[in-house]
Formats: sequence, structure tokens, C-alpha cells
Amino acid sequence: MSKKKGQEKVFEIKWKTDLPYRYSIGKLAVKFFEELKENKKIMGSKCSKCGKVHSPPRAVCAECFIEMTVEDMIELSPRGTLEGFTVVNYPFTDPNTGGLRPFPYGYAIFKLDGADTYTMHFVDETDYTKLKVGQRVEAVFKEKREGNIGDILYYRVIKNED
Amino acid sequence: MDHFEGINFSELMCGIEAAPGYLKPVVKVATGGTTGSSLAICGYHNVASGIYNNVLVIGWEKLNEGGATTGIITAFDPVWERPSLAGALGPLALMAGMYSAKYGITAEQAAKVTVKNRSNAANNPFAHLQMPNITIDYVMSSQMISYPLRLHDCCPQSEGACALIYANEQETKKITDNPAWFHAVETAHYYTFGTDDKMYDLPTATIASKKAYKKAGIKNPVKDLDVAEIYEPTSWSELSWTEALGFCKPGEGGKLLDEGITQMSGEFPINPSGGVLSTNPIGATALVRVAEAATQVMGRGEKRQVPDVEKALAMGFGGSLWTEILILGKEPLR
Amino acid sequence: MNQEIEKKVYRGRIKVPYKHTAGAYVEKFITEIGKNNKIYGVKCPKCHKVNVPPKMICIECFEKMEEWVEIGNQGIVKGFTVITHSTPVMPFEPPFAYGIIRLDGADTDFVHIIKESDPKKLKIGMKVKAVFKENPRKRILDIEYFEPI
Repeated sequence: MSKKKGQEKVFEIKWKTDLPYRYSIGKLAVKFFEELKENKKIMGSKCSKCGKVHSPPRAVCAECFIEMTVEDMIELSPRGTLEGFTVVNYPFTDPNTGGLRPFPYGYAIFKLDGADTYTMHFVDETDYTKLKVGQRVEAVFKEKREGNIGDILYYRVIKNED
Repeated sequence: MDHFEGINFSELMCGIEAAPGYLKPVVKVATGGTTGSSLAICGYHNVASGIYNNVLVIGWEKLNEGGATTGIITAFDPVWERPSLAGALGPLALMAGMYSAKYGITAEQAAKVTVKNRSNAANNPFAHLQMPNITIDYVMSSQMISYPLRLHDCCPQSEGACALIYANEQETKKITDNPAWFHAVETAHYYTFGTDDKMYDLPTATIASKKAYKKAGIKNPVKDLDVAEIYEPTSWSELSWTEALGFCKPGEGGKLLDEGITQMSGEFPINPSGGVLSTNPIGATALVRVAEAATQVMGRGEKRQVPDVEKALAMGFGGSLWTEILILGKEPLR
Repeated sequence: MNQEIEKKVYRGRIKVPYKHTAGAYVEKFITEIGKNNKIYGVKCPKCHKVNVPPKMICIECFEKMEEWVEIGNQGIVKGFTVITHSTPVMPFEPPFAYGIIRLDGADTDFVHIIKESDPKKLKIGMKVKAVFKENPRKRILDIEYFEPI
């Protein structure tokens, strides 16, 4: 390991950036969050050329360069398959709140039934030995939904799928 | 560092006062993890196009001044990604897990990469973590940071800077009789979200390297190249990237390492400098890859020098799984 | 804003703590302001320009500057604007003025706040004086503002 000299005390200016911003989410996301809030539905968008179903919905299919509109949006199952997972076990400041993000937390990517791309979200499990690629999962919705991604609280592993 | 990559930081600090760039054209390039390689490629374009005769390229980072994870989150989509994203390590952990599930790569093979790179770093006076006596057990018993990544499967947060001087053929003669020559530069970008496709491999590295090999007349990279400096933010990524870069077949990254080919003493050493696992000042990291490739080609690597290097590859990785590839040679490509 | 537009807009915040290693020159500059209410510049050995705030390298000569010079806490306004619109990142509630100030003995200009919000009372060429903060916080705002003399 490199040198361990007595560290010089340096003059530091400490600051906290706190910038409010507004971000235009686009027509498809507006529809996505409306359906999520009102009807507990998860929507994707389907490319009219290659048929690929994007989740979350996209305005453009990157491969075909075809525009997708609200009319191209289809309902996806709230259930899907676990494709990759980790348990985040390190502290860091969450720039959304300015405070420490609570950890450990399960973080995974899923393929929802009916979708061709992957969805990244929380998974309700902090013991990584209990997670396996290929497990069936389902979305757990918030009771009082507000029209943002937090309306899907997390995904949970389905023990016995009917 | 406020935020990430000095996005909100004045270029005055390095561009004007220390460079010296007063009243000269100064361009700021920031593309996330690929910042250094994007800088290297911009420098190349500036000189190769004939616009400028001499260009100074600088990459720098002071990760001690901010939180890299916090800053990186702000580089991602506010609506879909920021609430759950855990900086770079979260997605890299997902990638490692999927790669391992797909090909049966083991944690021990990953640990071997850290052992190789940090022992190499002991030969590099500029490296941050120099650990000549590091063992596989030491890596495998370190704290689980984000399954399957343990502390020593991950790159450190470093402070550092790197600068390269570019010159056209005429000007080069005034500076040195032993330059490194550019043979190829390539960039490949991906979709917007990392999760648009499977994450167990790195398609952009495959696309960019194939194009670069074609430009540089390389048929078999392991035979035709002599050394590679690749951007491995985790031990698992080095194994996966070696496959994506065509150094071996998909799923054989572990085997390539086990056979000793990528060791300092092997046929095709990877990261003699110690790589990103040993030193990671993000805004400089990919430029360091290019500088180390140039150092090898120029034969100035001292203790970390690979014998008889004719051609070297440097790789930048970052953003939404972007890759940039640069190939340098001892002789100009005619 | 109308409702149709409003639901298309996501409102977020970026809250990021950071520190900035300001370097030895800024350290001396800000410490002297806070401790002794004195303003210092550095002089280029080649072009003899006194730089305020101080920097290590003269941008024109590329010479290292090491000669510290105490300069006056009064200066001349070389330009100004009056801020009337409030944003969340401002140090004071508007209205207030920003001025480009050439301190006595300096060869570069210095941007700071002028506590005079009536544009009719501000003039290019007018004299202003630094007012120091009582409880310094190691910030450039340890010169709290400049006021017209």
C-alpha cells in the first residue's frame, strides 16, 4: 500500500448543493404513471416494426429508430422473472434527499411477462442467499399512489405461483 | 469534486491557469467513466484532422471532495433510475451476478484478477493501491459490498490526473524520436438505460474493438497485440471484458486468466499498471489507460514494462455501458 | 402552470454535499479576510500585475506568483447589475447588486455583492468599501458585501 505520511491539514470549503429541477417526462411516461396511479397497471411500449416491447416505455425504438406513441402502449403483467440481483450494502448520500440512503437493500433487474427489455427496481429481500436468477417475482403496489415510480414499492419473490 | 467529473466545476482550474490555456482554444469533455478516453479521442481528432499541430489533453479527478456514488446517481434518469440506483457499483454487481450465472465464473476467479492487478500495481509508482503480497483469501474474505462484489473486487476512489501531448508528424520530430502512434480509435454507444438488454456481457466493447481491429489490421488480438490496458471497475468486469474484446470466446474469461495468459509473465499481459482496480480517479482513469498503453509502446514502463511491445490496446468504459477503444503502435500505420 | 403541462413535469432535487480543497492561495486570502479584515493579492514577477483574488500562476505570463501584496479594502465599481428575481441558490433575498470591483492596488477585477439596490444610486466609477462579517465562516462572503462611500 502506498505511503502513509502524516496528512497535511488542508483548507477545505464545505458546501451542500441543493438544486431544484424540473424534468419533462414525455407523453408515454405521463400515460405510464396515470395507469399506475389510477389502475395499478404497468405499461410498456411496442415497436411497430420489430415488435419489441420496451419496459419502461420508450418514445423511440433504438434499433429500428421508429417512434412509439401512446397508441403503441400495452399492458404488461405485474409478474415477471428475476434476471439479476444484488444487495446494496454500502453507505452513500442519496442525492434525491440529501440524507443517507437506507441500506442494505435488494436491487434487481426483472423481465416482466410480455416485455422484451428489463426493469430495474427494489426487491424485498436483503439476504442474497435467498435470491436466484430465474425466480418468479411480482410487483407490490403502494396503497396511496402518487403517480411516480415509488408507487411500485418493490418486487417480491413469489413462493408458490398459482 | 462537486457532483461528478467536475460537471459543475470551472474548467479555469485546469484549462486556463495551470495548462496554460489563456486565450487559446480550450474544450471541456465529460462523458462519465469514458471521459478520459473521450478526451484521448478528441485530442486525436484535433490533430489528425489537421486543425491543430499540438494539443495538450488533461484528465483529472478529486474523488475525496465528493461522493462518487452520489454524483453518479445524478447522471442517470430522474424518473426511472435515480430512486433505486446505487451509483456504479449496484449495476456492476448486477452485471457480475448475471455473468457468473450465465457462464459459471467463480468468485475465486474474480479474486485472482484483483491479485494480478494489485500485484502489478506494486511495479507502478503512480498506482494508488500497491499490494505486492495480496492473496486470493484476502480478497475473498473482505466485506460483501454488493453481492457478488466484495470490497476488494471493487476499484478504489482515487485522486489523480493524467496529461498527454499530441502532435502531428512534423511537430513530433521536434519533441521525441520515440513517440507512440495512433492506429485506431473507436467509440460505441448503447441504449439509454443499462437495463435495455441483458447485462452479462458488454456489446459495445465487441462492436468498438472489432471496428478498431479492422482499422489497425489486427486479425488475432491476443497474438497481434502485445499488451492491453482495459477499464475494469470490478474484478468480474475484467473477465467479462476480455471476452467482449475478443481475447477469448464468450464464457472463457476465467479460463484465459487461469492459463496465465494475462499475467505479467504471460503471452498477453492485461493491465501491467495495476488497472482500475488499483487506481480510479474517474475523470482521468480512461486517459491513464491510453497513457499506459503509450508508455508500453514507447518502452518507458520501467518495472512494469512488457518486453518488445509493438502494439497496445487501451479501453475506456462508462456512461450507459459505452466503450471506447484506442490502438497504439511503435511504428506508424501505413 | 396549467394542469396538462404540470403532470408532464417531474419535480426533483439534487442534494449533494461536497468539499473543495481550495489550495494554499485561497486559504491565505480567505483567512486574512476573516482573521484580520485584510485583503491580499499576489504580484506577477514578470508583468507585475496584482491578482485579486490570488492565483498561483499568472495566466498571461505563466509565471509562478509568490509576492503577496496587501491591497486596500476600498475600490471602484467598474460595472454592476441589480438582481430583482429570486432563485433558491442566492446568498441574499433580492434586490441587491452585483458589482465588478477594482480594489485599490489591484490590477484585476473582483466580483462581489454591493448593498445598494437602487440602480439610480449606482454608478460606474463610484467608490465602494468592503464590510467584513463579524463571525467569519471561511467563505468569500466573509466580506459580507461592499457599500457605497
